[in-house]
Amino acid sequence: MAASKIDIKLYKTQEWVDWCPGCGNFGILNAEQMALAELGLDPKRTVIVSGIGCSGKIAHFINVNGVHTLHGRAVAFATGIKLANPELEVIVNAGDGDQLGIGVGHFVSVGRRNVDITVIVHDNGVYGLTKGQAAPTLPRGVKTKALPEPNINDAINPLLLALASGYTFVARTYAYDVKHAKETIKAAITHKGLALVDVLQPCPTYNNINTKEWYDKRIYKLENWDPVVKSESEIEDKITKAYLKAREWGDKIPIGIFYQNEAVPTYEDRVEERVSTYLKNPPAKQEIDKNGRFVTSIENIVKNKRVV
Amino acid sequence: MVKITWMIGGPQGSGVDTSATVFGNALARAGYYIYGNREYHSNIEGRHSYFNLTISDKPMHSISDDINILVTFEAETIFQHFREVHDYLFYNKALESTKLSTINSIERETAEEIEAFLESVNVPPTVEGVLGYLRGRGVKLIPVEYDKILMAVAEEMKLSVATISRSRNIIAAAVSLRLLGLDKKYLAEAIRGLFKNDLFVKANLLAADKAYGLAEPAYGLKEIPVSGHRVQLDGNTAVAMGKIAGGVRFQSYYPITPASDESVFIEANQVVDAVDPDTKESRKVGIVVLQTEDELAAINASIGAALTGARASTSTSGPGFSLMVEGLGWAGMNEVPVVVTYYMRGAPSTGLPTRSGQADLLFSMHAGHGEFPKIVIASGDHVEAFKDAIWAFNLAERYQTPVIHLVDKSLANAYSIIDESELDYSSMRADRGKIVIPDGSYKRFQFTDDYISPRAFIGNAVMHYTGDEHNEEGHISENSANRIKMYEKRMKKLELADKEIPEESRLNVFGEGDVAVITWGSPKGAVMDAMEELKQDGISMQLIQLRMFNPFPRNLVTKLLKGKSKIIDVENNYTAQAASLVASSTGIQPTNYILKWNGRPITRTEIRNAVKTIMEKDEKRVILSGGQ
Ligand SMILES: Cc1ncc(C[n+]2csc(CCOP(=O)(O)OP(=O)(O)O)c2C)c(N)n1
Ligand code: SF4
Ligand SMILES: [Mg+2]
Repeated sequence: MAASKIDIKLYKTQEWVDWCPGCGNFGILNAEQMALAELGLDPKRTVIVSGIGCSGKIAHFINVNGVHTLHGRAVAFATGIKLANPELEVIVNAGDGDQLGIGVGHFVSVGRRNVDITVIVHDNGVYGLTKGQAAPTLPRGVKTKALPEPNINDAINPLLLALASGYTFVARTYAYDVKHAKETIKAAITHKGLALVDVLQPCPTYNNINTKEWYDKRIYKLENWDPVVKSESEIEDKITKAYLKAREWGDKIPIGIFYQNEAVPTYEDRVEERVSTYLKNPPAKQEIDKNGRFVTSIENIVKNKRVV
Repeated sequence: MVKITWMIGGPQGSGVDTSATVFGNALARAGYYIYGNREYHSNIEGRHSYFNLTISDKPMHSISDDINILVTFEAETIFQHFREVHDYLFYNKALESTKLSTINSIERETAEEIEAFLESVNVPPTVEGVLGYLRGRGVKLIPVEYDKILMAVAEEMKLSVATISRSRNIIAAAVSLRLLGLDKKYLAEAIRGLFKNDLFVKANLLAADKAYGLAEPAYGLKEIPVSGHRVQLDGNTAVAMGKIAGGVRFQSYYPITPASDESVFIEANQVVDAVDPDTKESRKVGIVVLQTEDELAAINASIGAALTGARASTSTSGPGFSLMVEGLGWAGMNEVPVVVTYYMRGAPSTGLPTRSGQADLLFSMHAGHGEFPKIVIASGDHVEAFKDAIWAFNLAERYQTPVIHLVDKSLANAYSIIDESELDYSSMRADRGKIVIPDGSYKRFQFTDDYISPRAFIGNAVMHYTGDEHNEEGHISENSANRIKMYEKRMKKLELADKEIPEESRLNVFGEGDVAVITWGSPKGAVMDAMEELKQDGISMQLIQLRMFNPFPRNLVTKLLKGKSKIIDVENNYTAQAASLVASSTGIQPTNYILKWNGRPITRTEIRNAVKTIMEKDEKRVILSGGQ
């Protein structure tokens, strides 16, 4: 569906963007709009499915289909949308609390299916919209502004969880490196299969620890790093290296594509294997009636149930 | 009119279902109708399960507590059911000396209750004791040497007994058929029709041959010529078939009893023929069936699919529906046509996972925080379940709102022999509501005169959806005036539905009389069949079977109930939930109640006795407790 580059203005809605000044979400929004424009995606056939949080509002700011769903459930909605109409380009934008807290079950389970969608996690370490409680990516012992005591829970590493769950594209980027974020999102969208883009996203209002300054000092881009699995024999080596690299955190924080493997059949391929007309004539496109008269025959099914 | 009740029991996993299915299949071939209910524990192997069939020359819709023929293989079934049997008991001769106290699979409360009964009638708690008791009450005992027959079959086929041990069920079917007076050829046909594996076909035929002669014909049933075809259907299958016919293209589910069989059936039939009604040109198309990680995902994936234009649904029972509620509200807020088939089982939490109930009516009516329109319908038998599955999609799309289709477990798992002509849905039309492919700017929630906005599918336009209150474009708006108007727009759709859907189609009325019976769901069958019997006792009643609860057919119900001398409400719950909806919609209260919440279906015997009690003593609340 990729066409030639389209003017970025076309991807902006009239809605006022109501994030706090300096919020990392602005970087993600710009990067995502630029990625869509550069890929020339048709707004009618592109869908942003978001969860609940500051991050979830993004669906209203991009002028493609926007489905602002429930806290944690964006991936479930997105799966239904994509499987009913695999021709659509489906992108999930979720908060870290959204996707790795309340929605972590869906985050893991969609990995088993390798549905061809992109999951972008707005990783700010806090529950922004509920005023700064600890999110699942906040390390233990860290006391961000709104916490009465240092965080008592250990952090989830979204990349490791994605690798363990079966994501076939695993990347991390940084909200204030819009160019890197844009390129990473483009690669994720173009990837055939399930992609995670974990975006380190400063929240100047509630996360006074992982600030822009904090990240700017630590972040470096993966170089001399080939994440792409080219044959089955490479899987073990590349996934192990990706795993070790993704654990790096502290003084140095790598960003980039850690792992990519397009050889795993997508869920859509798996359905097509059972239903040979699925991709050509998916559920959303089928006529179920002709002038009101139903077309689906149950004649054989009824015959099978016949006793006399 | 022929009406014979046959029951077979045995440990779960031993093939009791199969024997009831094969037996019913054979009887149907001889021209008889069957209604059969399946009872089982939440257990895979070892706990007591049973099938209760009514055999008739007329279509049947219920079961009875008066068992004519009880078929057993082991001792527990004898202990569990000997008080219900009237005519014949088949039992395994090898077990005569078995003591009640040695049966580990029987629940303690049940064993104690049986023991107390036996003590009260001075019968020792052994199979022998019970057999003596039954003999004294005129029940004829037919010993069957299952093991001997199986050994003979095994020997002839040069197989181990273990390989063919399930032919035990066929032995039971063969003796039963003979007792009824029907030719064994029907059983042979049923065996050939239902078993795929040649080895089992052969073993079963051999077992049937050897067992057939063990009884003498006693009921004198004759073959009844059948015109047209008949099908054997359970409720799960009826719904699945209705959904397929109605154009379901996306079904999501998380496994749960008694709902999953529906989804599994759809998946097994996911490649379907789409046939042009004019040219008859046919092509293969596919249905996506998604087994999700939980019910949260199930409902939300279905909603997602519905946004793209596919007819989408999910199926679950109580625990799963509890998890779906937030998603249901999102669908209501965003005007998404999604269908939820809600199989009601008993009790809150895990409750009685494999038993039946009707305690989720008010929950489904009120499910979700905030207010949003939802349509709630309930099926009373297999044919209704089939057609309502189609209807549900039409309602969902016409009013752009979620539809909850209630089916009780005792309908889902009961099977019935039905005239194929009853499944004719050729007069039903697909109603997809207001669908557009916009060629300019588009407002998904445009205000219109009838409150229904033109619906475009994602893929054909750019649109926005949100669970927040929204403006016509689907963007978040907390503006007061918009809130008032948009809220009203959603709610008014239900008023529109109330205006458009004929009240006659929202309930069924059967019979005439001064006494009204109100019920819904599966008790319909028990009441209808009991009404026939009560006529002979000089009691005529009018049954009002409620089929749609939201919007409620209040005018017609008011009209029907006015001036009745008695209004008896029959439900499988404690709080008479439908009655409370009748009262809140019409101001009319039932005068008497027949209620049951032990997880077992209401039988026609129970209704007959309860109605008589009410007529004689005007008892306000008759509580039923039948079934093991
Ligand atoms: C079921 C449910 N529980 C709780 C909430 C309240 N809630 C709204 S936003 C939010 C947290 C958002 O945090 P995150 O997902 O990290 O997104 P962010 O605001 O940081 O972008 C919560 C808990 C909700 N909307 N729904
Ligand atoms: S609270 Fe944080 S995440 Fe939310 S808008 Fe403000 S800065 Fe951004
Ligand atoms: Mg967050």
